[in-house]
Amino acid sequence: MDVQEAVAEGTASAENGEVKRDGRKQFTMGPSDIFEGKLIYDGSIHADGRLEGEVRVSGNIDVASGAQVKALLEGSNVSLKGTIEGAVTARDKLTLGKNARLSGDVVVRRLQIDDGATLNGHVRMGDFEHQASGQ
Amino acid sequence: MLGPADRLVGQLYIEGDLRVSGTVEGALEATGDIVISDGGKVNGAVTAYNRLVVGTAASLVGSDVRVGRLTVEDGATFSGHVSMGKEAVERRPPPVEVVPEPVAEATPVDQPVDVVIPQPEKPIQKGKRR
Repeated sequence: MDVQEAVAEGTASAENGEVKRDGRKQFTMGPSDIFEGKLIYDGSIHADGRLEGEVRVSGNIDVASGAQVKALLEGSNVSLKGTIEGAVTARDKLTLGKNARLSGDVVVRRLQIDDGATLNGHVRMGDFEHQASGQ
Repeated sequence: MLGPADRLVGQLYIEGDLRVSGTVEGALEATGDIVISDGGKVNGAVTAYNRLVVGTAASLVGSDVRVGRLTVEDGATFSGHVSMGKEAVERRPPPVEVVPEPVAEATPVDQPVDVVIPQPEKPIQKGKRR
């Protein structure tokens, strides 16, 4: 999966937001950044600000506590702290932090929900052995 | 409290808190907290007016999960439809009523059927709503 398809608006361009961490790429959005569109990314993403559309990454997704997300999210480890509306797929683990508000259906391998988090949606636990690189 | 060797099949409504380390096949409803811990396994709808905790080694496979607050520890097995917050538990659904739906009347006689094959294959339009 070596596709980078970023249709970004505002300051969150792939060039500006990219930080190397542990030898892996990370797409970073700040609190005032806006992303609208579809991102397929071989790396991880740290999302803050406003994110709308679809994000599929090979690495992890990390949504900060002030973030407003209306998107389909798919990643290995997904850690959510902000407000998220949309379906979430975590090929490994989904963590909902205590301030997270998630409305949407969830497919995960492992799940951790901290006290204080809000979840409304359907939860399914599955195995992703064969699906990891399929999409 | 349902211990590790305990087993419940059916429906349980409890005023207060409930801790489950055994096996439950059926619906649980508690006005307080429900804690599923250790090797506890629940298979069915769960309503906790206050808080639901699913522990590390516990399993909840629920059709419908209505809770005020929810904690799921890493390692737990959890699936079902989750409705959360005050609204979800305040308007609680009435206890499972098994009222068979009125069967659609099979009276295709009203129509002037002149055709030779009176096969009432699709009574969907006629019976249910008038």
